[in-house]
Formats: sequence, structure tokens, C-alpha cells
Amino acid sequence: MNYFKEEDRVLSELEALYESHGYKRYKPGCFEDYALYIDNIDFLISKNVVTFSGAEGKLLALRPDVTLSIVSRVQPRGETLKLFYTEKVYRRPEGGGEFRDINQTGVEVIGNIDEACEAEVASLIIGTLAAVSDDYMLDISHMGYTEGLMDSMPVSPECKREAYACLRSKNVHDFAQLAGRCGLGDDTVKCFAAVANIGGDALSAVKAAKALAVNERMSDAADQMEKLVSTLKKLGCGDRINVNFSIANNADYYNGLIFNGYIGGVPRCVLSGGRYDKLLAKLKKTGGAIGFALYLGELERFFKPDGNFVDYLILYDDVSQAEALERENAYIKKGFTVRIARAVPEGYRFGKTEDLRREHD
Amino acid sequence: MINIALPKGRLGEKAYSLLSNIGYGCDDYEENSRKLIFRDEKGGVSYFWVKPSDVAVYVERGAADVGVVGKDIIEDGSPDVYELLDLHMGKCTMCVAAKNDWYDDTSRPLRVATKFVNVAKKYYAGLGRDIEVIKLNGSIELAPILGMSDVIVDIVETGTTLKENNLKVYAQIFPISARLVANKVSYKFKNGELLALADKLSNEVNK
Repeated sequence: MNYFKEEDRVLSELEALYESHGYKRYKPGCFEDYALYIDNIDFLISKNVVTFSGAEGKLLALRPDVTLSIVSRVQPRGETLKLFYTEKVYRRPEGGGEFRDINQTGVEVIGNIDEACEAEVASLIIGTLAAVSDDYMLDISHMGYTEGLMDSMPVSPECKREAYACLRSKNVHDFAQLAGRCGLGDDTVKCFAAVANIGGDALSAVKAAKALAVNERMSDAADQMEKLVSTLKKLGCGDRINVNFSIANNADYYNGLIFNGYIGGVPRCVLSGGRYDKLLAKLKKTGGAIGFALYLGELERFFKPDGNFVDYLILYDDVSQAEALERENAYIKKGFTVRIARAVPEGYRFGKTEDLRREHD
Repeated sequence: MINIALPKGRLGEKAYSLLSNIGYGCDDYEENSRKLIFRDEKGGVSYFWVKPSDVAVYVERGAADVGVVGKDIIEDGSPDVYELLDLHMGKCTMCVAAKNDWYDDTSRPLRVATKFVNVAKKYYAGLGRDIEVIKLNGSIELAPILGMSDVIVDIVETGTTLKENNLKVYAQIFPISARLVANKVSYKFKNGELLALADKLSNEVNK
């Protein structure tokens, strides 16, 4: 009924969800040291950062991402931190245009990450997507599996990059050509094609992935994925999971399970995350980390299909203004949106129109 | 020798017939030919047929001394050329169009589908409206019909295509017609020839 509050509803539901699992809200500062982003620019999905000089001449930035702010500040000492946040981030939208402030909410677990932690984060991802819409899908992959596949090819780093690009775009035909150029056998092409096309029910997909593993790194990763999928099935949230080795996060930062979430009707990925121990190591911190973020900017139109829609229009004149105000309040109490006006205002769509002017003719 | 870039298609043919009327005809010119260059040594003129949106590029880079190009392309590309003459043909309007029942939803950025990215950005910057540009290369009208964009910024000639697709014009941005443009260096080194051409053409157009 009320499209304007859909985003707020989701955010408060998510806050309750994360708090119910004992996650603590983390509030990073508004501005960040620009050096933090420059040193880790590849970690950012959007590489453009708004910068300005701070009061003491230091170059500051409006954060384009929250994870880096959190990870750079916290240092778990033996314990495992379970944090969540809802913050504005400043990014340029896909396809260019000016910077926008976009709401982002997410979860970070930093410290000793075991299988239970990973499964909990995965179930929170599913809970997050389900809070937005019942029509969601979650893709899972494992950096160990895809990196292991690349390790199995004795080729130059440049060719590896090309092979990765082929995997990301499920492009088997160009990979076959690449394999020909690099002297890789038909078996490699067949294996690549099978990995790129893995899909269907998550459990049978991880079994297929296990069967295709050609080295220890791949089979370890497939084992981890299998455990995760069966745990999620046991928890009753394993139905909308796909295995998809074409989703990829930067291998310099991510090292284990990775996730991408989708909502039916939204053309781009709305959630991404994964295991990022390597970022911690880069920031000279010990321990492991896993987390995810939901990008509410991508959901703007999903939440508000028609921002011009108002449930009731009440037209009034001098005689009927008191009655119009009374009716307005009554409808608002019932949860409707109301606009009172002397004439039909342009630029809005109304569910129902009540004309109190005619009643006093 | 004056090198003239003409846009392939109806506008170019009309421009050629104007030029030919004022004595810049080319003996070996044939309509519907696949040849790209026609030269007339005697008349001292050479014609190239190029994609309409590329005319300004040929002129700007000096491959052609003058060319005939739509105001839409000049506005969008801001080529570094002299705009010598309005040829008063190929007239149409740069417009904002949307579905018949569209209303601007000011609570979020406007999604604008267009071929003319710079025109759209400039127009909406002037209005102080935040937009998201979706660059398309053709069949722009489809974007609002499929809900991919809220509005389009496009050339409207008669409005028939819009009407057939249940779209209408919401704002006119600027009128368009074909212009004679000249390379800035050619304008110096072939000044007499170019001015004579522009002068004759102006008389012919205003006849």
C-alpha cells in the first residue's frame, strides 16, 4: 500500500534479523582517509571516490564502501566480531552520471571464522534477500575452486586473465581458441566447459563440481561448498541457491566462498559478499573475515514502482475544507496516502478521488 | 579544389542538388552508386559520402573543407568548426518525449534514453534535474515502452512514430536543420572559395 516506506521496512526488518543473531551495529565515521581507498582500489566495486581536503589539509574521501572502513578500524583480539551496519555510500551509478548517495546495509564477521560462521552468514544472506522479496536467488561460488581450475593450466598470467574472463562470461568458444593457442588439451576445454555450465539443484551441482575437480584445491573448495549447501538445506533455507562459478570477486582480496544475490525484476546483482581473509592480511591484521552487503540503490525502483501514486485525492473548497482535513486524517489512520487540493494537481496518479466541492454546489 | 563531405541519404542528395544548381555539380555523379568519392577537376570540387554523424569529424580533421551536417550532431558533438549557413532543410526538433500517461517522479533520478547523450545532460543540467543516461543507437522509442527509461531525448520530425507508439512530446529542446560547416583552417587558406560557395548557397536557399 505504502511504497514510500518499503525501503525503511526492509531496513528495520534486517536490523532486527542481525540483532537477533547477536550482531552489533557498527557506526563508522562519515569521512575516511583517502589513502585507505587508494591502497585498496581494486577492492572497490566502484573505483571513483569523492575527495576533498579536511580541516588540517589531509585528503579525505566520502566512503564508496563500508567494509574497508570497518576492517581498517577493528582488531579482534582472540574473539570474533560480529557486526552489521546501515550507511550511506557515495558512488557513481553504473553507466556513468554524477555521484549519488546510496544506502548500503551489510554484515561483517571478523576473527576466527569456522564453518558455523560461514553457514550463519550464508543464512543471513538468504534472510536478507527474503526480506526484500520472496522471489530471490543466491549464487554461490568458491575462489579456491576457480583459482584451482586456473592453477591446473600451465599458462602465462596474461592467458590466465583471459581464461578467467571467459569463465566469468561463460564463454566456452573463446576459451577453446585460447586453449588452442596455449597448447592446452581437449580435456582442459571439456573440464572448463563443464565448470562454466554447472547449475541446477545446488546439491547435485556441488557433487558435479567435486567430480570435476582436478587438484586438491578444487576438491577442498567443493567439499566446503557441499557442507555449506547441506547445512543450509538442513536449516530449511537451501532451496533458492545456485552454484555458479562465473561469479567472481577480486582474487587479491577474496579467498573462499563468495556470494551474489538477485531479486526477480531487478536487472543487476543486489547483494555480494564472501570470505576476504586476504584483505585483512593486506591491512596487516590477523584472522579471517566474511561478510556481505545489500545495495539498496539497485532496489530503488523495485521498492517504489510509482513514486507519483497517492491513494486518495480529496478535492475541497472554502466550505468543505474542514471536512477534507477530517477525511484526510481518517484515511491516513487507516494507512493510506492522501492528498488534499483545490484542483486536481498535475504529476500525480490517484487511486480514488473524492470531490467535496460538488457536494456543496 | 573544395572538398565537401555530404551525409549519405536524402539530406545529402538534397544538399547535392542545391550545390549542383549553383554551379558545383560533378560530371561523374550518379545517384544510387556505391562509389564514395566523386571528383570534378574542371569545377574544382570533390564530394565524399559519409555517415551523417561523421560529417563533422571529416570537416573538423580537415579531410573535407566543408560539409553539411544536422544541428543535432553539432550540438551533441560540439565539433571545432565554423557554422557558416543554415540550409533550412532537414527540419525537425530535438524533443523530450514519453508515454502518454507519464508524469515526472521527482523523488528519484530521471532515466533518459537517447542517442544524444551530451544534449540530454546539458538540457537536464539546465533544469537542475538529476538524470541517469541510457545511451542507445536506434529505436529509442522502445525504451519507455518497455519501462527501461522514463523519457527519451530524440529528434522528432512529424511525430508519427511517437503517436503510433503511444508516446508524446513533453518539451522541445531546440529546432534542428542542416548547416553548412567549414574547417577552421580551410576557412583561412581557401577563404575566397569557401565564402563564394557559402554566398551562392545562401542566395539559392533563400530564393
